[in-house]
Amino acid sequence: MARTGTNNNIQAKLVLLGDMGTGKTSIVLRFVKGQFFNYQESTIGAAFFSQVISLNEATVKFDIWDTAGQERYHSLAPMYYRGAAAAIVAYDITSMDSFGRAKKWVQELQRQGNPNLVMVLVGNKADLEAKRKVDTKEGESYAQENGLYFLETSAKTAQNVNELFYEIAKRLAGACPSQTAGIKLQNGSLGRGRSVFCCSV
Amino acid sequence: MDSADDAGPNSVFPSSVQPDQQNPSVSERIDDRLKRVSLVDTDALPGDAPPPAPHAIDVDSHAGVNGVLDARSGSEGNDKREEDGGEAPGDVLLPQLVGAEHAFEVTRSSSDAGLRDNFEIEVEEPSSPSSSGYAGERGSSNATTSTGIEEVGEDEIVEADAADSSVWTPGKRHVDEDDGSISWRKRKKHFFVLSHSGKPIYSRYGDEHRLAGFSATLQAIISFVQNGGDRVNFVRAGNHQVVFLVKGPIYLVCISCTEEPYEALKGQLELLYGQMLLILTRSVNRCFERNPKFDMTPLLGGTDAVFSSLIHSFSWNPATFLHAYTCLPLAYPTRQAAGAILQDVADSGVLFAILMCRHKVISLVGAQKSSLHPDDMLLLANFVLSSESFRTSESFSPICLPRYNPMAFLYAYVHYLDVDTYLVLLTTSSDSFYHLKDCRIRIETVLLKSNVLSEVQKSVLDGGLHVDDLPVDSSTSGSLSPHLGQDRSIPGSPDRSLSGIGGPGGLWHFIYRSIYLDQYVSSDFSSPINSPKQQKRLYRAYQKLYASMHSRETGPYKTQFRRDENSVLLCWITQDFELYAAFDPLADKALAIKICNRVCQWVRDIENEIFLLGASPFSW
Repeated sequence: MARTGTNNNIQAKLVLLGDMGTGKTSIVLRFVKGQFFNYQESTIGAAFFSQVISLNEATVKFDIWDTAGQERYHSLAPMYYRGAAAAIVAYDITSMDSFGRAKKWVQELQRQGNPNLVMVLVGNKADLEAKRKVDTKEGESYAQENGLYFLETSAKTAQNVNELFYEIAKRLAGACPSQTAGIKLQNGSLGRGRSVFCCSV
Repeated sequence: MDSADDAGPNSVFPSSVQPDQQNPSVSERIDDRLKRVSLVDTDALPGDAPPPAPHAIDVDSHAGVNGVLDARSGSEGNDKREEDGGEAPGDVLLPQLVGAEHAFEVTRSSSDAGLRDNFEIEVEEPSSPSSSGYAGERGSSNATTSTGIEEVGEDEIVEADAADSSVWTPGKRHVDEDDGSISWRKRKKHFFVLSHSGKPIYSRYGDEHRLAGFSATLQAIISFVQNGGDRVNFVRAGNHQVVFLVKGPIYLVCISCTEEPYEALKGQLELLYGQMLLILTRSVNRCFERNPKFDMTPLLGGTDAVFSSLIHSFSWNPATFLHAYTCLPLAYPTRQAAGAILQDVADSGVLFAILMCRHKVISLVGAQKSSLHPDDMLLLANFVLSSESFRTSESFSPICLPRYNPMAFLYAYVHYLDVDTYLVLLTTSSDSFYHLKDCRIRIETVLLKSNVLSEVQKSVLDGGLHVDDLPVDSSTSGSLSPHLGQDRSIPGSPDRSLSGIGGPGGLWHFIYRSIYLDQYVSSDFSSPINSPKQQKRLYRAYQKLYASMHSRETGPYKTQFRRDENSVLLCWITQDFELYAAFDPLADKALAIKICNRVCQWVRDIENEIFLLGASPFSW
């Protein structure tokens, strides 16, 4: 759950779900360390990362759970997504199977997750346009039907990776307005609807 | 041994099957005379009266109970004594196999055609099962029923791994092979795991799915014998040995022409099964109860590297047959400092706290009354070291310790403190990640402050025990014996002149296993055991020696002295320790025995540094 501290510091648990080989670890490594490996070993259980994003309206500290996509870990997934404020459900645009698996994850999160969960559907490996099996529109329309945010990314080229996490951070900051009383001028970045709303409370 | 011709163009499968023997390698049998002579006149032990230090080898007091290295027995130890193979009730005999009235017919062709060609077996290939429904058990203290996602898993899982090869790469190699390939048939050592319905689960070489027919053949052999109310242990066929291990619905088979003893191969299959349990727990059996044709391969997705690394360790890691672990040599206070902080966190609800450097233990601590079996440590270390993913960041993963509790998952927090050193914290609670993370931060801080990590790095660079460092005169043992990392032994000793290459008295290498501590220490390889091939040969020789010393039919023995064209091997087992030593083939027997006594004295002198002492009860 996203927790708000003083000065609008938000600590948020973020979980990545999706079939094996969709590039969850690559997305996280690109975001956290700016690295990419053509051959990334399978994740065991879940790997933990943390990274901070500073927005104008808040500082979001992500606790990122990068889960393993292997079938044997599925029954343990609730252990990782329990209490998450945000979830990235990833699929590989070159694999229809992985898209099907992503839908299953979305359904599971909808059933068990919290209603305020910020959920993003991510089509990864966007650089492999030639091998594309899942149409952008397909992903988009599924996301729309289920009220998810949608992005196509490439961990390899870094396309949309930072955007993905910034978007999540913004949504979390919007969902958790500052709990501190009074007007904070230094946070009142003008021209941002959310912030204005925040200060006007 | 390992000559390349062994495999030949033959199929891995026997073209002729001989009645097997419980102990395949009769030539391994040590001379009965050695066993009978348990007492030796002390004169025969060339003149070292051991000092009356508490750990000194006291010839008289040990003589009656444990036997003493036999310096008198004139046999050269390589006497070959033919013995009839014991026909234990569990053994399969070929005539039964052939003459049976069964659905398929065995025609013994003299050609190279394997059994596969002769068996007509219908392999049912059902469409891919929908969902495994596999749900690992939660931690033992967690009574909650696991919430499985039943509907996930319609589609076939595609193996994404494709290891690029360099020196020794973990992971599956030769995926393009199957049982039709000549290269596949020539491989010296195969490991197979299959289900009781004959579905392939794992194969060391080749793609499992392409080996469905071969797996079905193995399954047919096993279940044929089972139907007769019997059990097949192994089949010996020329150079090849086929060893079977049945674990409920999971069958494990090793086909090998490496001449390793049956007991050793069986032990390797047990470890392979243990590794599987570490990943899945034994609750995977339920999947087979629900659906006998259950396909288990997707559940093991991404673990090829774990199994191939374990199988690789069967040819270099003595822990795989000694059932003991080894420690990184460290000064006593350094290890104490590491142990103290681990004990601290163990008291805060951590079940096991293990600090390791590669395959060697720095320190380990268990919550009260919990003890860790050396085999579990081996499998855990192999799992962590072979999974690259743990090096990327801190991880929290379910892990089962098969000797601790094969049915339940524990939760492992794994974090690398530097390139080689890693910390594993095990707990029964799936919610304790943040607690374990805090523990790790505390541990790391203390280890850095007390310079443990830099001492560890130093020890890695310095290496372990060297046979050249063996103190030359045991009468000076105690304070004068060189400790680790100190100067080499005093030059100009009489023994030096007798030694060829290697240590004094022609000593090449030794392994000392402390029975009470469940730990062993092995000297570093040095000249002339330089090449990997020589090291592997010596390793296999030790493995045979171990098996013959511990053989149930003929043993256990107390001493054994063997000489062949490659080396002299000496083994000595007492209540307290087992010593395995390799010498130059021309080594003098009396001197070799003297040297062995010295090795034991040396190890006891420095046991503070090479073993993890006291701490927790690890004895089983």
